[in-house]
This record gives sequence, C-alpha cells and structure tokens, in this order.
Amino acid sequence: MKTSTILKYILLGIFNALMFYVVPLAISYESWFLLIIIGIITFLINITYITNKLKPLKWITPGFVFLISFVLFPAGYNFYVSFTNWQTGHILTKTQVIERLEDLTYSTEEQKGVEFDLYVMQDSNLDFFFLADFDQDNLLFGRAVTSDQFEDIEYATHEPSFKDSNNNITIPESFYLLSGKEQIANSSTLQDLSLLVDKNTRIKLYNISVFGASSGRIFSSQQKYTYDKDSEILYDNRKNVACTLGDRGNFICGGESVDPGWRINVGTENYQRIVDDQRFRGPLSTVAKWTFQFAFFSVALAFIVGLLLAITLNNEKVRFQKLYRSIYIIPYAIPAFISILVFRGLLNPDFGLVNDWLDPLYQLFNIEPIRWFRTEESSKAAVLLVNTWLGFPYMFLIVTGALQSIPNELIEASKVDGATPRQSFFKITFPLLLVSISPLLIGAFAFNFNNFTLIFLLTGGGPPIVGADVSVGYTDILISFTYNLAVSGGRGVQFGLAAAVTTLIFFLVLIISAISFRYSKRLERVYGNI
Amino acid sequence: METYKLSTWFREYGWRHLVGLTFVVFSMYPILYVLSNSFADFPNLENSKLIPGSFTLKHYQSLYGDPLVPYFKWLFNTYKIASLAGIFNVLLGTFAGYAFARLKFRGRRVGLITLVLIQMFPAFLAFVAIYLLFFQISDIAPFMGLGTHFGLICVYLGGSIGFNSWLIKGFMDTIPESLDEAAKVDGATDSQIFFRIVAPLARPIIVVLFVLTFIGIYSDYILAAVFLKDTNLYTVALGINVVFTDDFSNEWGSIAAASVIAATPIAVLFLFFQKQITGGLTAGSIKG
Repeated sequence: MKTSTILKYILLGIFNALMFYVVPLAISYESWFLLIIIGIITFLINITYITNKLKPLKWITPGFVFLISFVLFPAGYNFYVSFTNWQTGHILTKTQVIERLEDLTYSTEEQKGVEFDLYVMQDSNLDFFFLADFDQDNLLFGRAVTSDQFEDIEYATHEPSFKDSNNNITIPESFYLLSGKEQIANSSTLQDLSLLVDKNTRIKLYNISVFGASSGRIFSSQQKYTYDKDSEILYDNRKNVACTLGDRGNFICGGESVDPGWRINVGTENYQRIVDDQRFRGPLSTVAKWTFQFAFFSVALAFIVGLLLAITLNNEKVRFQKLYRSIYIIPYAIPAFISILVFRGLLNPDFGLVNDWLDPLYQLFNIEPIRWFRTEESSKAAVLLVNTWLGFPYMFLIVTGALQSIPNELIEASKVDGATPRQSFFKITFPLLLVSISPLLIGAFAFNFNNFTLIFLLTGGGPPIVGADVSVGYTDILISFTYNLAVSGGRGVQFGLAAAVTTLIFFLVLIISAISFRYSKRLERVYGNI
Repeated sequence: METYKLSTWFREYGWRHLVGLTFVVFSMYPILYVLSNSFADFPNLENSKLIPGSFTLKHYQSLYGDPLVPYFKWLFNTYKIASLAGIFNVLLGTFAGYAFARLKFRGRRVGLITLVLIQMFPAFLAFVAIYLLFFQISDIAPFMGLGTHFGLICVYLGGSIGFNSWLIKGFMDTIPESLDEAAKVDGATDSQIFFRIVAPLARPIIVVLFVLTFIGIYSDYILAAVFLKDTNLYTVALGINVVFTDDFSNEWGSIAAASVIAATPIAVLFLFFQKQITGGLTAGSIKG
C-alpha cells in the first residue's frame, strides 16, 4: 500500500473514532438534530473516501461538509425551532428539567433548635474549617464550604483526637483557631459556610460568642421533588402533592406551573402570534414597512448620487477623472462598522460636528437644532444619510462601468436622427443602463433588507416605540428586531418566535430573488436584441 | 471675451468639477476628521475640530496596556479568525470549484443549482439556529462550542464556501480544457492536473476571493456578537462597539485612534485589489 493510502485510512479512523465518541454524548443530551447531522457527515465522509468510485466527491465533500453543517442544516433547524416554545423558562429538555428539579432541596424546620459548641479555624491556605462538639460520639471536623462546592467535598469526620484527656479542645499546630472578634470580622464569609455531615445534613455557624465558644446548629434539607418515571408524576415532597404534566411543557403542582419548564412542539402557535396577536403584529408590521422603505430609499439615494456623479464625470474631456474615482472609492474601502461608529460621533446631537455645521442655519431660521437619534424622523434621516455615504461609491462604480460598455454609435445614431441630449439619455442610455445593472440594484436591495450592522451599530433600532409588547424601535428592521427577540430582549429570549420571524424573512428574500430573476429575464427580452 | 470663455468652460466642464468636488468633501470629510482627531489633544468630542493645532500620540498609547480594553488582542483575534477562515475557504472552495468545472458526473447540475440557491440567502439569517446548534455543541464538544474561535471559524467557512466555489468554477470554465487534455495524454492524474495546471492558472480569482472573504469576516458583526461572550476573545468590530461606546464623548480620542488602526490595513488591501474586486462587482458580489 502507498503511504498516502495508509495516511488516508489513519485519518478516516481518527475521524470515525471521534464521531463514535460524540454520538453517545449527543444521545445523552437529547440533541437529536445534532445526531442527524453527525450521521450525515460521517456517512458522506466514509462513502467518499473508502470507495474509489466517487472521484468528484473527493473534491467536493470537504467544502460541502461545512456548507451542509453550518448553512443548510441551520436553515432547516431554524424552521424546526419556529414550531417550538423554545424561550426563557423553556430552554432545557424534559430530562434536563427533571434532573434539575430533583436536585432542588428545602430545609426542614424541626431540628433547628439544637445548639452546640462550634470552633472556627483556618489552615495555612486560609481555608475555613469547622469543629463541632455535637455530643460524646460526634466531634465533627471538616472543611467548611459554600453551597456551590457541596458536590465535590467530603463529609465531616468524627475526630476524637481534637480533645485531650481532660476533655478540653486542642487544636493541632497546622490550624489556627479564630477568636470571637476575628469571627465577627469574617462574619459575612462565615455565614455562607457549612460543614457537610451527610447528603441532607449540614452544620452552620449560628451565634458568634466573643468570650466562650461560638455555637452552631444543624440544618437538614430534603429533596424537594421526586419524579416517578412510570406514572410520569412529580411529587412535591414539601407540600405533599402530586404534580401532573401540563400541556405547555411544565409540571403543574396544585394549579401552579413549576419553573423551569422544557421546550415542546407548539405547532403553528408562533406563526399565529405573527398573524393574530395584535400586540405583536402591530410592532411587527411597523418594522416590516420600515424595512422595505429603508432598503428602497437606501438603494435609490445611493443610486441617484452614483448616477449623478457617473454622468457628470463620464466625459473624456473632464480632467482628474482618475483622481475623483480613487477618492470616491475610499468610503467603500473602509469597514462599515468603523464608518458607522465615526458617524455616531459626527451626528451626536450635543457635541457633534454636523450640528455645529448646521448651527448658522438653525440661527438664521430660528429653529431648534435637530436632536439626532432622539426622534423618529431624525433617526431615520441619519440612517439613510449614513447609508448613502456608505453605498454611493458602489453605485458610482457599477454605473460608470455600465455607461462605458454602452456603444457610442447608439448615441451618435440618435443624434443624427435629431434627438436632443436629454432624449437620447432617457430613451437610450438610461434603459440600457437599467438592463445591465438592475440585477445589481435588486442585489443591493436584498443586502440592505438585512443590513443588520448599520441599524444595530448606528441607532440600535432606537428610539424605542413606547408601549409595544416587545422591545422594538422606530429604525429597527426585521433582522435587528429578530436579534432583539432572540438575544437581548427586555423580556427574556424568545427563540421560537424569533425563528418564526426569520422564516418570514427567508420567504421575503426568496420573493425578492424571484422578482429579480424574472425582471432581468424580461428586460433582456426587451432590450437584448439592440 | 475672457469672461465669455470662462462661462462656456463652466457650462461645459466647470459644473462637473463643482459637483465632483462637493462629493469629494462629502466622502472625505469624516475620514480626515477622524484621522486628525486621533492625533489631536482634545479632552472630548465637544471640543473636537478638523484642524486641531495640537499633536499627541496619547490616544494611540491609551490603546495599550488597559486590561479591560485589550484592543490589540481584539485585532489579533480578528486577523487570526479572518485569515484562517479565508484560507480554508478558498482552499476547499477551489477543490469544489474544480470538480464542478472539470469532472463530469451525475448530479453536477443539481449541485450547481443548489449552490446558486444557497448563495441567495445570507448565512447569518439563521443566526438563531446557529446559536442554538452551538449551544448544544458546547455540551458535546466544548472546544468548538459557543464562545470559541474554532466554532466561529467553522460558521464563517460554511457561510461563504458555496459562493466562492461558484465563482471559482466560473473562472475555471474560462481556462481552456485543451491544457488538461494534453496533460491527460501524458498520463497525469486528476490531482496532478489540479495542482500543476488548473489551480495555478486560477490564482487571480483565488487571491481576490481570499481578500473579499477576509474583509467580509473582518467586518462581520452579527455572528461574532451571537457567538463570542468573553471580552478577551472579541473581534475588533465587537470590541470597539461594545466597550468604547459606554462613554462615547470622553473616549472620542481613543475611538478615533482605534478606528484608524482597524481601518487602515483593510482600506489599503481593498484599494490595492480595487481593480480585481470592482471587476468582480459586476459579477454580483457585494461587500458586506
């Protein structure tokens, strides 16, 4: 066998071993979708590299593995999530919820009365240790820990060696016994510490005494819920009631649902909210309307500026054309997130440069300075202004390119036929221009339709729409609105609903693309044979 | 006579320069403003002006050494993520492009149509699903879960590979197939043809696509924001916008300096490849 073949099988072996290691984990976390994708990828890679018949796949598979896993699959998964109630309070799976509920404990009250001497000491690492003189047979000693360390700490042990023959407490030299005053100084730390006796019992410092020994008390805790797998009933041990399965992914205990719940399939509920729920549909349709307006005006403004400049400068006798061109391209060369940040400074209503500039105008007409970003109109204007700055170089470039590809004979011929420059522009140049760049204009529309960076970084969607049921602002577009729902909404995250809105955006983009396709086909038919 | 000439000149060409210069001011003013402010000794945004009359490097120096604002760490993270994702992107994209351009097989058309369809949808649209997917991957394979650069690189890889393979395939179609035929007659295998003939000839498009992918990832905000939670692992886009903007006015000098450092290499790279990139613009690619 050739070395390359051996290497291939070794790599394939490592890959498969990794996958077999991952599969049981995926099952234990109930990540069924992940399991499907792991299966597909493993199958694809093995079939590609074990058989020798599928030569093209050897070239295609490496790239397509990523394409399938992180583009196609999330698109499908997004669709699935849109039919669930995956949101704050319903993040986990049912098994995870039951595990979490069974971990909960509550304190039982009865034994609190018993008090005994408790000694607090520290070792050389400054960790705290408790010694509890409980009774003759129980001189309990061990490290005192906070509740988040309960899992990995050993229980207290009976240590008779801490008492001498006269029944007095003696502390080994490796420990330092804290005096009452020192205990008071550390009291905020000490009150969180406990000495674990067994799973449900712990000893805490109860009363610090400056002269004698401090006292401790026993606290015992009980498991709050027990789950019976066969009957699917959860028992609340404290209230002593049986809880049943609710239909929203919760246990219901005496009429009240228990937190946390788990995620379940809720059918088309999220979509129904988009259509029916007035408090949600209102803000959503405002956002959708603005998204279309924003995308349209962004393209239109940048196109008008780009067209104006291209026509103005596209004349052989105009000097410095190259210089103009290289200057106009600079805004396009700078990463948008930086330009947007800078514009936030320039447009700052109190200290910004733009208001400084406009100040003479404000004075002249005796009007209030524009409160950029604080009113609906000024925010929308700012968004469009900045997007024109960002977008006109692209339009200038493509229009210039398209103008130069229009054969000069056509214009000359129209001149011979007696057309004015205006006529030949509107009847010949402009229609031809549209044929070649309309797919790009629609592409620019689709890009701005989802221009998250601009909106999120310039206005953050603000100013907020007061009284809306969800966190939303006047300049929010669909994608930034969805982001707020899923990531940083004021009322917890709502993945299911966000996924439903994303699905909606998917379809809108699909429609835009379809229109683009048909439109360019039609234009080609009309102007294609010139 | 002289005035008559001038007005003719103005009617013919002068107004063109007037319009041209107006937009030179429009496009350059913000850039020059930030550039000058990054070297100027103003206390805050309120006192800033275009021509400062003072010179200092303190804003640049302020980007060093503050552990709460690890600016150069962010820059390093961004370059790391963007170049790794960019390299693997064009590498795997070139492989796939080669198969679609040169190898005849069943399902080739379907594969190509799939690529075109996928390319219509920006990958970040499914960010909710990507977040939830990696939320679960975190349990199973923590090294590529949420908050890791490795996971983010994987997402970026998937996001632009379809588009890149499509463009590379298109370019390879223009390389005459007679070259491969000749090599085949001499007994060359597919991989020899790829590495010795097709890939070297496709280098122009590979370089341009690397640059475009690099710039695209460098400028991405939404996926990085969904993915990265630890300030030390931030990319520069995330870092600048999340950390500096707490106290916008008083941090203005640092913001200007940070912007200059983050923007300059990308702008230079873009201008250097301007011809090739703008050539590709008409092929329908739009910078993010």
